Amino acid sequence: MRTHAPLVGAFAIITASLGLAVSVAAHHSGAGFNSDKVIELTGTIKEFQFTNPHTWIQMFVEGDKGARVEWSIEWGSPNSLGRQGIRPSTFPPGAKVTVRLRPMVNGAPAGGFVGAKFPDGKTVGRWE
Amino acid sequence: MRTLPAVFAFAAWLAPGVCAAQGEPPTLRPYDTLPDWSGAWLMVGGTVFDRATQTGEGGATSVGVRSHPPYNAEWEAIYRSHLERRDKNLFPDTISNCGVPAGFPRHFNLPDPYEFVVRPEQVWVLTENGPNVLRIYTDGRKHLEDQWATYTGDSVGHWEGDTLVFTTVALKGFRDKDVILDRTGLVLSDQSRATTRIRKIDPTTIEVQMTIEDPKALTRPWVVTKQFRKMPAGTRVYDYGCAENNRNPADVETGKTLVIGPDGKPLNKE
Repeated sequence: MRTHAPLVGAFAIITASLGLAVSVAAHHSGAGFNSDKVIELTGTIKEFQFTNPHTWIQMFVEGDKGARVEWSIEWGSPNSLGRQGIRPSTFPPGAKVTVRLRPMVNGAPAGGFVGAKFPDGKTVGRWE
Repeated sequence: MRTLPAVFAFAAWLAPGVCAAQGEPPTLRPYDTLPDWSGAWLMVGGTVFDRATQTGEGGATSVGVRSHPPYNAEWEAIYRSHLERRDKNLFPDTISNCGVPAGFPRHFNLPDPYEFVVRPEQVWVLTENGPNVLRIYTDGRKHLEDQWATYTGDSVGHWEGDTLVFTTVALKGFRDKDVILDRTGLVLSDQSRATTRIRKIDPTTIEVQMTIEDPKALTRPWVVTKQFRKMPAGTRVYDYGCAENNRNPADVETGKTLVIGPDGKPLNKE
């Protein structure tokens, strides 16, 4: 599934020009991500790939009619994040979470990480 | 610790030529007299190589951003062709496919921590990103007359007070299309060489000033200065296994930077 339309029922899309820094810097940049747009997804963590050169949060998002889409959300290098206190356990498999990201310009289910908020109110990354 | 013997040894080092005149190996500068560049350091600013001449807003991959080296007409045209491809996300970063060093002078234009390891006979500049190693020999050796070209070249130098001065030669440049200076598409030729001066300008800042010459690509020497800020004490530097999970390779056919989905297929091939 490469469009947002089937997922409208499951999450709210917010379009914003918040001026937030692009989370993915350095090695490959955020090529293909929309730097002017931030969307918000709520779903369940499948896996946090705490790997080089960049980390990836794999998250299942329920769409309408029960469809489940796996999103790939790219973040910084594990080294850089690790120095900031992020750990492989920061996004445990099965956890519910709401994530803000810069989506791909072509509508594919991927984007650059901005921030996340867990049901208990804990936030990760930028969540103003 | 600055010990008395070290002071005498330093004085001997300041009187060069005696040993060399007798055909003996050159006297190395004593370890205790060398500057303290320990710790981890982070480049100041983004990865546009020559930020002093940057025009356009944003980073190296932002549309319209470029530097203005003193290119001749031929290499300005080459750079413009790279910029046009960069604007369409079709200019491949040569290190995106995790196989080659960043090379010189890009070695001083990388994100993530740096370490400057100072020894009497050699200085190593280590970058976490890559990782990459720049070896600068300070043991009196000369460049080889028949040195073959490599990504990082051959660097030999000496100390002028607490400033490390070295020349770098035998660079591949963009000869094989696998060394760039930044993601705007900035490149140099295989005739490029540089004289670099590294010094600590205050307790938390190391400055690297490169004077780059390239008779094939430049009309005059090009001076680029980069600064590195000391990271908090105790900062750790880690592996950088680029190929561990590279989900942003460059498409070998188009040069496009891809985003690989969970099934291993690109999400933006088209």
